Amino acid sequence: MSTHAPGAQLVALPATLDEAVAALADNPAAVPVAGGTDLMAGVNAGMLRPAALVGLGRLAELRGWAYQDGHALLGACLTHARMSRPDFSALIPALATAARAAGPPQVRNAGTLGGNIISAAPSGDTLPVLAALEATLLVAAPDGEGRQIPVSHLLAGRDRLNPGELLAHVRVPLLHAPQTFLKATARTGPSRALASVAVVLDPLRREVRCAVGAVAPMPLRPLDAERWVASLVDWDGQRGLAPEALAAFGDYVGMACIPDPRPAGDGGEPAQLAPAVLHLRRTVAALARRGLGRALR
Amino acid sequence: MAQAHGPADAATSISLPTATGSRPKPARATPHGLGTSLPPAEAQSKARGTFPYTADLWAEGLLWAAVLRSPHPHARIRSIDTTDAAAMPGVRAVVTHEDLEGDGLLGRRVADRPAFASDVVRYHGEPLAAVAADHPETARLAAAAIAVEYEPLDAVTNPQRAFEAEPLHPDGNVVRHIPLRHGDPHATGEVVVEGFYRIGRQDSAPIGAESGLAVPRPDGGVEVYVAATDPHTDRDRLAGCLGLTAEQVKLYVTGVPGSLGDREDQSFQLPLALLAIRTGCPVKLAATREESFLGHAHRHPTLLRYWHHADREGRLVKVEAQLVLDAGAYADDSAEALAAAVSFAAGPYVVPNAVVDGWAVRTNNPPAGFLRGEGAMQVCAAHEGQMDRLAAQLGMDPAELRARNVLATGDSLPTGQAVTCPAPVAELLAAVREAPLPSLPKDGPIEDWLLPGGPDGAGDPAAVRRGVGYALGMVHMLGAEGTDEVSTATVRVENSTATVLCAAVETGQGFATLARQVVQEVLGIDDVVVAPVDTDQPPAGPGGRGRHTWVSAGAVERAARMVRTQLLQPLAANFGMSAELLNIEDGRITSYDGVLSTPVVEALEGKELWATAQCRPHPTEPLDAAGQGDAFVGLAFAAVRAVVDVDVELGSVRVVEMAVAQDVGRVLNPRQLRTRIEAGVTQGIGAALTEHLRVVRGEVRHADLTGYQLATALDAPEVKVVALVEERDVVAPFGAKAAGAPPLVVSPAAVAAAVRAATGQPVNRLPIKPQFAVGVTE
Repeated sequence: MSTHAPGAQLVALPATLDEAVAALADNPAAVPVAGGTDLMAGVNAGMLRPAALVGLGRLAELRGWAYQDGHALLGACLTHARMSRPDFSALIPALATAARAAGPPQVRNAGTLGGNIISAAPSGDTLPVLAALEATLLVAAPDGEGRQIPVSHLLAGRDRLNPGELLAHVRVPLLHAPQTFLKATARTGPSRALASVAVVLDPLRREVRCAVGAVAPMPLRPLDAERWVASLVDWDGQRGLAPEALAAFGDYVGMACIPDPRPAGDGGEPAQLAPAVLHLRRTVAALARRGLGRALR
Repeated sequence: MAQAHGPADAATSISLPTATGSRPKPARATPHGLGTSLPPAEAQSKARGTFPYTADLWAEGLLWAAVLRSPHPHARIRSIDTTDAAAMPGVRAVVTHEDLEGDGLLGRRVADRPAFASDVVRYHGEPLAAVAADHPETARLAAAAIAVEYEPLDAVTNPQRAFEAEPLHPDGNVVRHIPLRHGDPHATGEVVVEGFYRIGRQDSAPIGAESGLAVPRPDGGVEVYVAATDPHTDRDRLAGCLGLTAEQVKLYVTGVPGSLGDREDQSFQLPLALLAIRTGCPVKLAATREESFLGHAHRHPTLLRYWHHADREGRLVKVEAQLVLDAGAYADDSAEALAAAVSFAAGPYVVPNAVVDGWAVRTNNPPAGFLRGEGAMQVCAAHEGQMDRLAAQLGMDPAELRARNVLATGDSLPTGQAVTCPAPVAELLAAVREAPLPSLPKDGPIEDWLLPGGPDGAGDPAAVRRGVGYALGMVHMLGAEGTDEVSTATVRVENSTATVLCAAVETGQGFATLARQVVQEVLGIDDVVVAPVDTDQPPAGPGGRGRHTWVSAGAVERAARMVRTQLLQPLAANFGMSAELLNIEDGRITSYDGVLSTPVVEALEGKELWATAQCRPHPTEPLDAAGQGDAFVGLAFAAVRAVVDVDVELGSVRVVEMAVAQDVGRVLNPRQLRTRIEAGVTQGIGAALTEHLRVVRGEVRHADLTGYQLATALDAPEVKVVALVEERDVVAPFGAKAAGAPPLVVSPAAVAAAVRAATGQPVNRLPIKPQFAVGVTE
């Protein structure tokens, strides 16, 4: 039943990035697996049958991070547990918070940043943070000719990994400013986000960047709301905003991410959003207001 | 977990739980006998992961089974073609309804459900065929390769539509209707409050999914190794379905990985047995979580409309209610669940007049069946919602309103049955009212705050409101309405070891530990072993509703007493004294005056002593055409005070503390009792906040533990047992009452009451999704 080429390895366990890329080149049908928290659940449920696997567990070089021109180069195999720790939290606070919120300890110990991006689940907790940070994905390819993809392009499906390519690093800017990630859930214990909001401040560019997760297939950026609120902030003085401004920002974000239905073309009554959707919009608004408020505090 | 103690001046009948139990025993190295916290024999092996569950079983040359289930909630079956599946390499047998030589029906209480659908499927997940193959994946692929031609039919998924819909089943769409009329149906109160409540579809979601192993027998019969909680009923039904005699089918009960209802569903047992007979090989099945959700029964989703009439002082005049229980396509225990729902529709309150109409109806939704607290849990959430509404209408304190109406021994239920057992409802309510409230988070350091939404969540202290809510509720014990509730047990003594043989299944409820305690108490022998259960033993009946504590432990006690008499009578005769003057302890028989002191081993003189006894409580009667009758053997009550924090913008709820006062009759094992209460409260919080199996137009969605959210350790609040009221029920063998169900029944109502208090919203749906907590009603 297996579709793998005769003689090809069913499971490769490369020790270096080059070996991993070579293994993928040998068998382009092979699926890279890092923490396996999504992939193996699908395999165990009989939903996925990868022809072969390239295990990334031994790739020590992708499990940490490096610094480059005011950016952090995060290894794709960085686990959520590692990102939760205080040293990482000091670098990219919102990503650390999202990693801490991403499921129970067993999942955080295994699940990786790269896996979160490639799985691209709408509720993926790190995704809105990466979108707000405007992270860049560094992709390794067999010819040594790697390329860079903005994370939003991959998540929106504007670009995708080609066969043989491997997500190696994620480049995020080090902004040295407050960031927040807030997540609404139905229970107190680990749970998928009903909605999540990441807010990052970029004082150098005098920008507020915000992304909303879990309410759409990919994180949403309310660009107008970002620009409007950034213009209100006194970047050289006390950054705090009045509660009314924060609330207006929240409503702006909520409206941008969950807009009212377009009026009916025939001039009839405009469609109404379901009460549960309106609650979701209010949830997004509250998260955005709180997130920005905490970032500017 | 820290344990707060209630007020010291509480009524004398209220015992405060302590570490050593409420009945102090003489100091002893190891717990022994009733009233002590004897640990379960299997505690170590369960904690170490060596306890054998069914999924661990193996047999040489075993095959794997897979079941084909309907993807449609309602469809006519045009054809089933198994040719391709049977031709797949590794497939050893494919079976359908045509292979059943008996009546082909399943169902523990009512055999109204085809083992394999033949002409029509009535719910998403209904079995159609099964495959045995040499590998589980092959079996699954082969099951998927069975070609079924369906003609989809309109699915009846709104239970209110079931009344007019075409019959979904030859037995009609109304499984049961109970029109209860009590007192003056035309009585009216000065104040009337109306409410509409909806209760969701809770699943038992056991920690271990269904599994089993069947081994063919040379005589054409079959042996099934399965975590059955009512093995004899299952054996008889399997035999009837397969066209075998009961003697040809034997069930061995294996380790039960969690049971809050019935296990294992017969739809898992039957394919195993049939495939083992057909192939002549052992056959194993291990369900995935999705199959588990699709394959077993859930709690009855319920719609409830209420009108409470009261006078200006808050005394109830009349309760009117209409209840509709969604039974799914098959009857299962819906008739019993409905009886409990109708009988307890008004709650543990004195209600002179009642008009309650309850229906259990068939739909194409997933099947509903027995989950502990059946019927009672749904109505508790509603009648307590009504009490809160009434209190608001009258401008009264909700707890005070309840106190004015509580039931007591000697009062009548709306079924006309006089409450003869202890009913210390007033004491329970007083105990939770008097218990000190937990401190507000702002009194502690900010990093200790656990806000709704959890650690690192979105909770904002400025948006968090605290609410306190009270609820009272009741359950019945044992089977109701004339069920013959009997259990049989055998006690054997050899050397200095006693063995208990009883077909009551240890499901985690603690029966095996209690049986050991009972024998220790009666025979003074510490070394007691409870034998594994199989269907060659006499039946002990199903578990649940405190049944085994009553009838099975009662039978164990009687058998142990008979053994004691056999042991002591000859000795006593030798000494010319009565056997009552002899005592057994630490393996020695001693006389009251100390003259005689003989080791038990010596007294036995190499003999084995056996005794078998039965326990059968007083009979009950079915509810009559007006819902009247002495239907219940016993009742158990609980009061719960919930303290919750609600983020009033996001609607997220965190339960801070649950204070429980419970009518337990007698504490038999303090630690086990506490565990049962904590488990019941936690399951109740799941039902209150998150647990609901989502179904869209009859199709089950998110049948996994990510989509179906159980309470986690972070969701479980501090459970304060503020009072265990020990008023023995004189007709029960030990005076003890059901322990697990009452906190489960009452907790969801208490959480809803607390959320109501925090938000001012009506909160009339369970589970309380975030949008319901902020007033969205759809």
